[in-house]
Amino acid sequence: MHELLLFGQIPRSRHEQVLKILAGVAAMQPRRVLERHIVYKPLREPEEPGAHLRRGGTQNVTSKNIKQAAAKDLYFTQLVQQLSEEDFDVSNAQGSSLTTASDSGAEAKWAYEFRDIPDTGDRGVLVRLTNSTDIMGGDPHAYVLNLGNQFVSEYYLEGHRFVHENVVILLFRILHEPGVRSLETSPRDTLPSFASLQPLDPSSAYILEAKIRVQDLNNPAVLDAGVDELKRFKTQMRGCVEISVPDRLLLDTRVKWKPKTSVQPPARPVQAGVR
Amino acid sequence: MSGARAGTVSDVALRPWPAPTKETLDRVALFNQVHQLTTERGHLRFVTEKTLQEEIDAGKDASEDVMEGVEQEDQKPAPTKQERLQEVARAQHDMFTKVEWATFYANNTLDLIALLLSKDPAKMVDKSFSQQFKEQQIPRGSFGLDKGNAPKIVGVEQAVAEIQAAEDNKRRMAGRGSTMKALDWSTEKLLEATEQVKTEARKEAAYWEEILSISQKGWSIQRSRKDARHAPYAVRYGFPEASQHFKSRGFAPLRMDKDGSIILDPALALQPKTLRVRISENRKIVGTSTLPTQVILSGSPFERSIQLAKDSLFEEELYHEITLESRQLLAAGVELRDSVINVLVPDLSGSSMQQEILIDCIPREENASNTENTPQTWLAHNVAEALRILLAHEHHLRLFRRSQIPPTLTQAKRPPSHPPLLRTLIATFRHLHAVDSLQRHLDLVVKILDSAGLKASTKTIRESSWNSLAKIIKESRRSDMSPVDQLLGFFTKPLDGLATLTLPSSHGAHFEQLTITTRTYIGHPTFGSEHKVALPPSLISSLNLSPDQKREFKFISVEEVKSYLDWIISLDLSHVLLSKEYGNRASIVDQGPKVIIVSKPGKKKAKKTVEIKLENGRLTISAGTTDPLTNDKSAVEQEFTWNGSKESSSFKDKIKSFVG
Repeated sequence: MHELLLFGQIPRSRHEQVLKILAGVAAMQPRRVLERHIVYKPLREPEEPGAHLRRGGTQNVTSKNIKQAAAKDLYFTQLVQQLSEEDFDVSNAQGSSLTTASDSGAEAKWAYEFRDIPDTGDRGVLVRLTNSTDIMGGDPHAYVLNLGNQFVSEYYLEGHRFVHENVVILLFRILHEPGVRSLETSPRDTLPSFASLQPLDPSSAYILEAKIRVQDLNNPAVLDAGVDELKRFKTQMRGCVEISVPDRLLLDTRVKWKPKTSVQPPARPVQAGVR
Repeated sequence: MSGARAGTVSDVALRPWPAPTKETLDRVALFNQVHQLTTERGHLRFVTEKTLQEEIDAGKDASEDVMEGVEQEDQKPAPTKQERLQEVARAQHDMFTKVEWATFYANNTLDLIALLLSKDPAKMVDKSFSQQFKEQQIPRGSFGLDKGNAPKIVGVEQAVAEIQAAEDNKRRMAGRGSTMKALDWSTEKLLEATEQVKTEARKEAAYWEEILSISQKGWSIQRSRKDARHAPYAVRYGFPEASQHFKSRGFAPLRMDKDGSIILDPALALQPKTLRVRISENRKIVGTSTLPTQVILSGSPFERSIQLAKDSLFEEELYHEITLESRQLLAAGVELRDSVINVLVPDLSGSSMQQEILIDCIPREENASNTENTPQTWLAHNVAEALRILLAHEHHLRLFRRSQIPPTLTQAKRPPSHPPLLRTLIATFRHLHAVDSLQRHLDLVVKILDSAGLKASTKTIRESSWNSLAKIIKESRRSDMSPVDQLLGFFTKPLDGLATLTLPSSHGAHFEQLTITTRTYIGHPTFGSEHKVALPPSLISSLNLSPDQKREFKFISVEEVKSYLDWIISLDLSHVLLSKEYGNRASIVDQGPKVIIVSKPGKKKAKKTVEIKLENGRLTISAGTTDPLTNDKSAVEQEFTWNGSKESSSFKDKIKSFVG
């Protein structure tokens, strides 16, 4: 699945107003969205870019013609948990919040998400590949660890969602638990109280994300229709929210290669982003 | 120099314009002549002999020159040739003199300007100097030009000042006069404007008062387009989730008329319509739905018409949706005849007759008059209300679906969905009919068996989810859907009824149960009611079924189920109950509910064939000594029938007495 994306920014003071305008545009009431994101990164360290080009010769005759495969990029991934206000109520907390009730009828509360770095093409919107796996039961954290990942950090997303035809509009801000969370090595078992969370951006500005999901990019007609609709939304919101295309590298999810301090710096200059 | 010039001057012809020399004009000259005549006399069309004659008679264009000429002739005698020559010579001389002077002055001026310009070395002025000037050898640039004040002349100033004063005075007077006039005018205009503003204010006040009263009644008022004059606001009374066509109709601009009251928009002035539901039995109308509970419409006539328009819009959309839906439901007994939708439904009162529901959309007034109370009015009324509620439910669902995260964009277009209004109605009717008639039958069976001293019990649930609505809704996780919508959702999904019958052969705590589930859905795969009879394990052997075969049988109509149940029960009585009762004395004859019972040992050895029949609400047992192989019916010796009334003898006793 691919996502077409545009972003805008709204200061705290205009949040209420924009919320009302969006409610009018989408002709629906905003839906509260509360999400907990746990970020993981692969256990394996990324290879040095271009390292495969400097490998020594092989004695394998048959593989002569095979091109040396470029080093695979490694990506950060995340677990997303759908929450509601009640989940933060400490008095009501029972057991670990990390497990999932395997209730067949309920909607999936957890999802394992992968987001690629946006495409290089310039279509006026960002296009990126995403993949989301719903986790219906069991311990999501253990599952992801077993996939060969390690815990990095976690944050919370709070906001409202609208649906305007095919455009999913998410007006949100990122919350995090202030303090020493960055030193933790595993996600919290119990949720902190909602009041203790603080916005990551001290000015507490909101982000507007306009998204259209496209099944595949091979059909140009569908893609163009999606891009057009997103751009139409952008024009419609002109004067209310300035929606723009951010730099694609801001949404880079690749794990950066860091030269090890003990090792001699590479002889050649590091080529950025060998793909 | 002068000689040359004089020569040219002497060539001037002082004679009149040459007359045309030729009689016949060439083409160009003719056109010129025509043009000249046109400009002089107008279009040729109007120049007829008659008009010319008239003109001559009126003496109109009679040339004045002629008259002058005549006068001159009167005054002076004709000059002699000598005099004439002298006169000409004098005129020639005069002219020469004047031309000489003119040449002289012109040359002087040219020289002067050239001399002035000659200061500038860049200017090539040599050729401009006249011959005489060149001869004088005046150095170049020796003549200058400067600006200065004009010398003052005493006395003139005084005169000018006086004139100025007089002029000023005149102007002042004129100014005062015009100011007075302008003030008068502006007073008039101001008064006019006051009047206008007053009426405007009254108008606006009236308009706003009406708008306010409309707004206070809860109608949503919105700004209309900028270019719409006289209608800055519009009222939206349509339903936000109505289908596209009806959504755009639910909008009326609020125009202001001369007095400031609101003009009724054509959209609101349409004749309000309403849905009418009639029940027909044997082509006779036995019930008509009345208007939805008539609230006394209050408020201004305008508000009332908005209310009516809104109601009408809803009813029309309902009718529209039903009409669309009826096209797919021909197989289910729905027809559209003369814009009346005929829906064939089973009669709920239990009779085998079929009722017809007639649905149409009629003007509101027509319906209001009809208030007679007929036996099925309640049904018609409820059907109409149900349809309305279902459409309102559909509106809610549209918002709900719209607010969900949309599916990913693909090439496949999502077809527009049509709300199941008629389908729900028909499904409910059919389901209730199916379940109820099944229940009646089961009750009858139980009653008969009871009268025969056999224990049997039955239990029927019309629809499994209807029984525990409150509980299901309370435990529902779909918090984003209102309970009312969840409640209505139970009616639009397939309906499931459940009936159980404990077989008479069961004993003790171990119940052998027949389960009949009735599933109704107007759509794939059942397209109506479907009964599924699940057999208890005890009957499997009787039916010679292999154990792993599915013990479920599907039937489409209630009649089929009834006859199958009758057969199964008589089979149960004969094969299971009697076999149990008589042990190895009883032997099963064939697939039918017949059993051969050998009489008790010790007595005269006799074989009796006992046949048990349950049909049409009667339980009949017959016993005979027929040879089972020939299957001769004539040899029935004894027979007994239970028809549900209290009988003294029980089934077992009777069998015993038959068999001996």
